[in-house]
Amino acid sequence: MNIKVVIRNLFKHPFLNLVKILGLSLALTGIIFISLFLKNELTYDRLNPKTYQIYRLTLTDPDFLGGKHFARIVNAGYLPEIKERLPEVEQYVRLMPVRGGLLKYKERFYNVNQGFECDSTFFEVFEVELISGNKKTVLENPASMVISKSYAETIFGESNPVGEVLTLPAGQYYGEAQNFTVAGIMKDFPSNSHFHPDFITTPVQHEFQYGWSWTYLLLSNGANPENVTREISDFLTERAQVEPEEFETKVYLQKLTDIHLYSNKLREIEANGNIRNIYVLAIAAFILLVIAISNYANLNLGMSGFNAKYLFINKILGSNKVAVVNFFLIEGLLILLATLFLTTLISIPTNTLIFKFYGLKLAQKNLAFILFVVTVFSILSLILGMLPVLKSILTAKKINTSVNFGRGRISRGLIVFQYAFSIALIISVIVISRQTSHALKNGLGARENNIVIFESVHASLQQKFEIFKEELLKYNSIQHVSAMMEPPGGEANDMFPFEMEGFDTEQNEDQFNRIGVFPCDYSFADLFNLQFLSGNNFTASNIDNEGSGEYIINEAAMKRLNYHDPDEIIGKTFKLNFMMSETTGIEIPRGKIIGVVKDFHLSSIKKKVEPLVLFKRDKLWLLNFAVAFQPGMRTAALTDIETVWTSMFPEYPLQYEDVNVMYQKVYKAELLQARLLSVFTIIALFICSMGLFGLALIITQNRVKEIGIRKVNGARVSEILAILNKDFLKWVILAFLIACPAGYFAMDKWLENFAYKTGLSWWIFILAGVIALGIALLTVSLQSWKAATRNPVEALRYE
Amino acid sequence: MIQLKNIDKYYDAKFQRTFVLKGINLEIEQSEFVSIMGPSGAGKSTLLNIIGFLDEPNEGEYLFLGKPANKLKEKQKVQYHRSHIGFIFQAFHLIEEMTVYENIETPLVYRGVKSKERKAMVAEMLDKFNIVAKKDLFPSQLSGGQQQLVGIARAIVGSPKLLLADEPTGNLHSEQGEMIMKLLKKLNDDGMTIVQVTHSEQNAQYGNRIVRLMDGYINEENTN
Repeated sequence: MNIKVVIRNLFKHPFLNLVKILGLSLALTGIIFISLFLKNELTYDRLNPKTYQIYRLTLTDPDFLGGKHFARIVNAGYLPEIKERLPEVEQYVRLMPVRGGLLKYKERFYNVNQGFECDSTFFEVFEVELISGNKKTVLENPASMVISKSYAETIFGESNPVGEVLTLPAGQYYGEAQNFTVAGIMKDFPSNSHFHPDFITTPVQHEFQYGWSWTYLLLSNGANPENVTREISDFLTERAQVEPEEFETKVYLQKLTDIHLYSNKLREIEANGNIRNIYVLAIAAFILLVIAISNYANLNLGMSGFNAKYLFINKILGSNKVAVVNFFLIEGLLILLATLFLTTLISIPTNTLIFKFYGLKLAQKNLAFILFVVTVFSILSLILGMLPVLKSILTAKKINTSVNFGRGRISRGLIVFQYAFSIALIISVIVISRQTSHALKNGLGARENNIVIFESVHASLQQKFEIFKEELLKYNSIQHVSAMMEPPGGEANDMFPFEMEGFDTEQNEDQFNRIGVFPCDYSFADLFNLQFLSGNNFTASNIDNEGSGEYIINEAAMKRLNYHDPDEIIGKTFKLNFMMSETTGIEIPRGKIIGVVKDFHLSSIKKKVEPLVLFKRDKLWLLNFAVAFQPGMRTAALTDIETVWTSMFPEYPLQYEDVNVMYQKVYKAELLQARLLSVFTIIALFICSMGLFGLALIITQNRVKEIGIRKVNGARVSEILAILNKDFLKWVILAFLIACPAGYFAMDKWLENFAYKTGLSWWIFILAGVIALGIALLTVSLQSWKAATRNPVEALRYE
Repeated sequence: MIQLKNIDKYYDAKFQRTFVLKGINLEIEQSEFVSIMGPSGAGKSTLLNIIGFLDEPNEGEYLFLGKPANKLKEKQKVQYHRSHIGFIFQAFHLIEEMTVYENIETPLVYRGVKSKERKAMVAEMLDKFNIVAKKDLFPSQLSGGQQQLVGIARAIVGSPKLLLADEPTGNLHSEQGEMIMKLLKKLNDDGMTIVQVTHSEQNAQYGNRIVRLMDGYINEENTN
C-alpha cells in the first residue's frame, strides 16, 4: 500500500522528480564511463604476471644528440654480456622497428602499422597468448615471424598462414628484399598495452647488427632496480674504457607499468597517456558525484515540505518513526530504480559512440566493475540524498500542521558549492579549449588547411619523388608539392656536426659542435608558408654543387649561432658534415646561409622550438611527401592525386592525411581532455540549473503569499523579480569568488605542460562568471516571472 | 477520563513570555460531549492538541485515563493515537494520494488489524455513512461535506474512546454542517467521548457542556 502512495506522491510533482532522476542518471552515466576509462588507463601493461619485474632500459649522454632522452637505445650489442655479468638480469628483449611500412604477400602490398624485429627471447619477457605455435620454439630460427590474429586475417583471411612467406620489399634501410616465414599466430595485444605489433620477427641474420631498439629487461624476482642501474652503469664505464668521472652516460630503468602514464621521452612506440589527465578526470568524476548527490539531497530537502501534511496525518493516525523512514526509503528506492533504468538507456548508445570515435571497448568484460560503481553510487545517493531530510523530520520536536521551511541554510550552502564547481569547470574548459586550438593553429601548415601529407612513403617511391612532383604540378588544382624528413607533428631529433665562418667551436665547449638538421625539398618553405625574417628561399633545384650549397635556418638556430640580427648572418659560409661511420659518409655541399625563417612548430608546442638547419636533399631522407592544393579545390585535387598515384605506383596503397588531422593526433590527450571536460561541464551545469530551477520553484511557491501581499500593496513586477532574484544572485556571486582562485591555480598548473601558452586573461574568469550567472538568472527568472505576474487575489485566496 | 491540572503553555520571545494557556483546570468524563469556544487566539486549538498528545504543556499535569501524560514515552503516545483517539479537522486533512477506501483503512493498518477484518470494518463504515459508491474516488473528487464524512469515518473506524474535532464544520456550508453535527451527536449518544472546538453557538449546543476560553483562561463553563 505504501508503494502505491509513494508512486502517486511522486507523480504529483512530475517535473521535480524528473529533475532528480535526470540529474542522477547523467551523473551516474558520466561516472561509470570515467571510471571505466580510468581503469583502462591505470591497468596498462598489467596482464603479464611478471609485469612488475620488467624494466625498460634507456640512456642519455650529453655528447650524443644533445643529451636528449629517447625511449629507445642505439647499438645495444652488449646486452648479452650484461645478462652474463649481472645475475639480476634474467632476460632481455630488444624491439627494433621494421621500417618501410609495407609487407608483400603474393604480389600485393599490405600496410604495417607496427612491426618489430626482436630477440628470440620475446615470449620469455612478454606474456602473450599464442594461437598457433609453441612459445619456446617459435622464434628459434632467424627470420621466423609471429603475426597477430587480426593481421593474419587481413592478409590471409580464413586460410592458415603458418609456413607462408612474407616479404619486406627492398628499400633504403634494407639493401635487399628480405623474406620472413610465418611461424605462429599470437592474440592481438589488448588496448591497454603500450604497443600493438602487427607482427614480431627474428632478424634474417641471426643477431642484431646495428640500429635503434626499445630494450626491456626482465629482472629476477626481488631484484633492486637501483642496484641494477648502477651495475649497468659500471659495466658501460668499464666497456668504454674511461675513468668513471669522465663517463657521462646516464642509465635509466623504467618500470613497464610506468611507461603509459609517466614516460614522456622521444620516439616512444606509441603516444602515451599522461598522469595529469588521470587526475583531472578523477577530480571531474568526483565533482560530478558531489554535485549530483548534493543536488539530489537539496531537492529532497526542499520538497520535504510537500510531505509535511502527509506525515502529520499519519502521525495522528498512529504511524511511528519506522513508517516515516520506510516512506522516504521507498521513495528513494523508486527514484533510484528510475535512475538506473534511464542510465542504462543513456549508457548503451554512449558506449557505442565511444567505441566508434576512440576505438575503446570500455564496457567489455567489466560488468562486475560497472555493478560495483553502480552499487556504490546507489548506496551513496540513497543515504546521503535522504539523510538530511530524515534528520530534519525525525529531529523536529513538534510536528507542524502548516507547510513550513526554515531550512534554507543547507540548501544555500550546497547551491554555492555546486556553482563554485561549475564555474571552475567552465574556466577550465575555456582555458583548455583555447590552449588546444592555439596549439592546433600553430602546427606547421595547419593554418592554411590545404595540405595533405603522405607519411613515411616507401623507399622505392621516395626515389621517384621528382617525377611524382612534376606530374602533380601539371594539374591546376595543385599548388605546391614538397617532401621532407619528418612529417608535421613529428620529431626532428637528428643533429649533425657543422662548420661556420666565424663560429669558433673551441670557445663553445659546453655547447658541443652539433646542430639540429632538417632535410627537405626546395619548395618546403613555400608549401608551409614559412615567414622569412631575412634572405631568400632555396633555388628551384635539389642538387647543388660543392661551394654553392644553400642553408635556411630558423630563429632558434640563429641565436644558437650567436647572432641577433637576421640580416647579419645571411651569406655566412656554412657546412654540415655527416659521417655514418669511418668509411661511409654523405657529402653535403659547402655553401652559405641564405635565409632565416621565423620559428615554426613542427613538433608539439609543449616543447621549445629547437635550433634547426633546413637543407636540400635529392632522393635521400625525404621520407614524407606533402601536397598543397589551391584553396577551395580540395575535391578536384584529391581526384588528381589519385590519378597520378595509381598511374605511377599502382601496386602501392594510396594513403594520405590532412595536416590538421595529424596535429590532432599529436594533441590527442589534450583534445580528449577538452572534449570530456566540456561534456562534464555541460552535465554539471545542467544538473546545477535543474537543481536551482527546482529550488526556485519550491521557494517561490512558499513565498506566494508574500508576493501577493506585496503586490496588493503596490509592488511592481520588476520589484518582485528583483526581490526574488537577489538571493540567487548573491549565491552565484559567492560561488564565483570561491571558484576564481581555484580555477586559476588548477589551470596555471595545467599550462605548465606547454612551452608556448595562451595566458590566463582576466576575461576568461569574467566570462565563466557571466555564463554561470546568466544560466542561473534565466532558470530562476522563469519561476520568479511566473510568481511575480500572478494575480495576487488568486495567491491570497489559498489561505 | 481526562484531567488537566494547572496547565500552562507559553512561548518565550526575547524579553517576554507569551502565554497561550494559563492555569487551565479541566475534567472530562467518559461519554461527555464538550464544546470548547472562544475568540481567535484564545488557545482552543492548543488545548485540543495537548489533549490529543500532539503538543505538550510547559507546566501542569495531564492525566489521561488516570495516567500522567507527561511521563508517556513516544511509543505509548503512538499507541494511544492508534487505539484511543480519533481526530477530525476543519480542513479535513485527508491524504490526497489515497482513495476514500485507503484513507479509512490507514489507521487500521497502523494498528496491525488483519487484512480480512480491515475490509469488513471499512465496508461497515462506508455503509454507515452511505459513501460506498465513492470508495475509489480521491478526496479532491468529493464535496466538502463528503470529505468530512470520510474524515469522521477514518477517525472512528478503530472505535476510539475519544474523538477530538477541531472546528469540524468550519469549511462547510450550514446544511452540510448540520448533518455533520447530527452525526457527532449520534456518535456521542452511542457512548463516544467527544471534544470539539467551535466558533458557532449553534453547534456548541449539540454538546452537553461548553467551556469558554478567553486569552488562555477558562472564562466560564456551563452545562446544557
